[in-house]
Amino acid sequence: MDGSVRLDEVVMRFGDFTAIEKTTLEIGSGEFFSFLGPSGCGKTTLLNMISGFLTPTEGRVWIGDEAMGKVSVNRRPTAMIFQNLALFPLMTVFENIEFGLEVRGVDKRTRREASEKLLALVALEGSGPKQIGELSGGQKQRVAIARALAVEPRVLLLDEPLSALDLKLRQHMRAELKAIQRKTGITFIYITHDQGEALTMSDRVAVMSAGRIQQVADPMTLYRSPATGFVAAFVGENNRLETRVIEREGQRVRLDAGNLGELAGMAGETVILGNGDRAALFLRPEHLKPIGEGDAGPRLSATIEAVHFEGAWVMLETRLEASGEKLRVQLGHEVSRQYADSLDIGQRMTFGYDPADAVVLPDDGSPVLDEDTGEMVETEQRAMPDGGSHA
Amino acid sequence: MLRQLQARFGGPLAMAILGLLGIWLILLVTLPQLQMIDYSFRPNLLPDQRGGPEDGWTLGNYATLLNNEIHRVIFFKTLWSSVLVTLLTLAVSYPLAWYLAKVATPRQAALCILLLIIPFWINEILRTYAWFIILAFRGPLNEVLMMLGLIERPIRFLSGDAGVMVGMVYAYILFMVFPVYNAIESLDDNQVRAARDLGAGTIRTHRRIVIPHAKPGIATGCIMTFMLAAGSYAVPALLGSPGSRWFTQIIYNWFFEGGNWNQGAAYAFLLLVLCIGFMSLVMRFFKVGLGDIAK
Amino acid sequence: MSSQRLMALGLRFYVVVFFAYLFLPLLVMAAATFNDSRFPTVTPWDGTTLKWFGELAADGGMWQALGNSAIVAVGVLCLAVPIGIATALFLNTVSGRAKPFIYALILSPLLTPGVIIGISTLIFWRQLGVGGGIFLTVLGQSTFIAAYVMLMVTARLQRFDRTMERAALDLGASQWQMFRRILLPYLKPAIYSAAVIAFLQSFENYNTSLFVVGYDTTLTVYIASKVRTGLTPAVNALGLILILVTVVLAVAYEVKRRRETARSVKGV
Repeated sequence: MDGSVRLDEVVMRFGDFTAIEKTTLEIGSGEFFSFLGPSGCGKTTLLNMISGFLTPTEGRVWIGDEAMGKVSVNRRPTAMIFQNLALFPLMTVFENIEFGLEVRGVDKRTRREASEKLLALVALEGSGPKQIGELSGGQKQRVAIARALAVEPRVLLLDEPLSALDLKLRQHMRAELKAIQRKTGITFIYITHDQGEALTMSDRVAVMSAGRIQQVADPMTLYRSPATGFVAAFVGENNRLETRVIEREGQRVRLDAGNLGELAGMAGETVILGNGDRAALFLRPEHLKPIGEGDAGPRLSATIEAVHFEGAWVMLETRLEASGEKLRVQLGHEVSRQYADSLDIGQRMTFGYDPADAVVLPDDGSPVLDEDTGEMVETEQRAMPDGGSHA
Repeated sequence: MLRQLQARFGGPLAMAILGLLGIWLILLVTLPQLQMIDYSFRPNLLPDQRGGPEDGWTLGNYATLLNNEIHRVIFFKTLWSSVLVTLLTLAVSYPLAWYLAKVATPRQAALCILLLIIPFWINEILRTYAWFIILAFRGPLNEVLMMLGLIERPIRFLSGDAGVMVGMVYAYILFMVFPVYNAIESLDDNQVRAARDLGAGTIRTHRRIVIPHAKPGIATGCIMTFMLAAGSYAVPALLGSPGSRWFTQIIYNWFFEGGNWNQGAAYAFLLLVLCIGFMSLVMRFFKVGLGDIAK
Repeated sequence: MSSQRLMALGLRFYVVVFFAYLFLPLLVMAAATFNDSRFPTVTPWDGTTLKWFGELAADGGMWQALGNSAIVAVGVLCLAVPIGIATALFLNTVSGRAKPFIYALILSPLLTPGVIIGISTLIFWRQLGVGGGIFLTVLGQSTFIAAYVMLMVTARLQRFDRTMERAALDLGASQWQMFRRILLPYLKPAIYSAAVIAFLQSFENYNTSLFVVGYDTTLTVYIASKVRTGLTPAVNALGLILILVTVVLAVAYEVKRRRETARSVKGV
């Protein structure tokens, strides 16, 4: 059972609008793969192309070694879990789960056996005769999973299925989804705008923006070595400083940060940066540390504007004295206790960081985090309808 | 359009849907109307004269109306009376619709609506017949009025237009109450309260807030009532007298007594034009579209 | 404040008068059934009798007309309900420049006087050699009743979540299976309601039928001719029975509808 998926130079256009730029991607059989991106980035469109609700304008979709070009939705070896679950409200749990088998002409006994087994898998034994309206949110979620698994898909497509659940349940279902994926060995393709979901569950994640895949990597790599400014800003939190390259030595880059003086960071081997080029320096809040007068390395002096106590850590909102830019700093429990006296609004602090933790990328006008709304803002503004609504 | 249907329902079902729609719109709606219009522009000929030299398009059937003073008077009376019936029905229905939508408790409203629905489902003929009994020369209304000493001898209610109009208001009132009620109901209570707060009296609140909001409902009610009144045959036939005929009765006579279908078709088309004219006027006046009416 | 209270009181009084106006005529008609008088009236009261029911039962023409009405109503059900459903599905699915025009055409029978629908049907079909009778009555009535069915089905269809359709297809259902197992069951309550309404509309139709019944007189046409010619309280007896049947049907329908609404509000 080959559950690999290959997108072969696919393009999706709706009239003049290009929802998906030319994309090539391979997803391995049995992989838990996520598409992560803000709404309108095209991830739903990609999912709809794999499931067959949309036919790509150009290029081909392969599942296993079969091209899906002429294969209609109802004949593809995929099953989808919809954002609103789309359970059939007029049917019982059994009937919902068995629907896919029923339309394939499977006899009633076999059907019932299969659905009993699936109910056991999702820990809902005995709920078969219930009406959908009698179930809780989490139970509905499980029925949706069981219903999709009943047709023995090679690829399971999940369209933000956890977004309707409350926080506790969502975290619980993450673990459960991951466990089910391991148990069944089915390829899971998961789309979400929630980086927590993508990072905790996935083997690999594709970060998308404006119809383009920005980076495909395992969660750790995404976090440590973002390939583009968008990924750096979207995955995890990052402070972004605008600089110019002074000199590059291997991966290490010395930067001129204007009033902030000289800073340093690391650029990946594939990143092209010449001396004098504009560059963005990304500093994660958790990599910034308070330093004293005598400490060596880059120095950033800032005034504290707000202190948020989060339990395990403290988040500081500060403003850099030299440039007036905002800088968010996350202090671990130990460090914050050590500096407890200075953590007050209006206090001055100097922060340093290890240049090995700082990422330098070309400043290519990629989306930046809007400081006021906390949302990603495209520097090249464009209309971004949700790809799914074009189906 | 076939493509969209096919994409959703598959070929056979898409064809069935289009087939049924086609049968309806073409065979039942469009062609008969066109045929009627065509008919109205042709002279009434004997079967063996068809296709002969006299067969051709003519305005003769329409000239009849212009030349026949009685028919002309009846046509305009029908128009005028139908407008009157519509206004009367609106006046009677509006307070009730307001009560149902905004004053009554939900339980009261539910009960009232059920009570309204019952006579709504009783046939127009029977509802009219009931008034026939009441308005009769020796009927209960005359008896009661005489008993109260309001009149000295019975009145012939069934010989003029008054009886017809009373019967029509009664017969079509629910076509007005329901659309107006639905429209008022969707008005946010707070708007009314705000208007009151700002010192608007009852009449001003209705004129400035409620009625503008209920416009689509009022328009729908007026269009339906006018159409039913102008096109009514049963009410004038039962409650009217030979002296107060309705245009529909003349049409009927052309068909089944005069035996001149072409003439009847012309008159029927005129009635249709009258209704369409009234409808477009109301829609323009209230600034509503077809979509609002279908709600 | 007191003027507003006066208004409220006035409104209440008006509502009472309104309902009296609505029901008194029907009560008078019902009462006249039991008056032992040659004419249908309540004044003077000539004694209480049930003989008009007997007379009604012996009226062969009435039974004939009742039978015709039933046949017509069933015919209308078979024609108007499928057309109404198909039209609702059509409007819910397609878009395009021609749609507003088609939509206007679909609504036009609702805004056309019944007599004109009868007349145009009669003229058109006579050209094709079909005269007035049960068949034409079914066609004439279906012309506008289909639009009512369409409105009722559309109202429910608009609340349908189309992801349900996608889910069914995704699970392997053909489009036909999706229609049979998902869409049609969802529409069922609306279709039943529409069928009840279509039946009642057909049964009580007069204006359209008047022109197309030919010699196959339907019940309403029969009653109307009775009122004008051989008027006896037997007509009241028939009216009373029809009213009772309608009331029972209307109440049952309304109660069922309310229960369904209550259930859907609960979120099932």
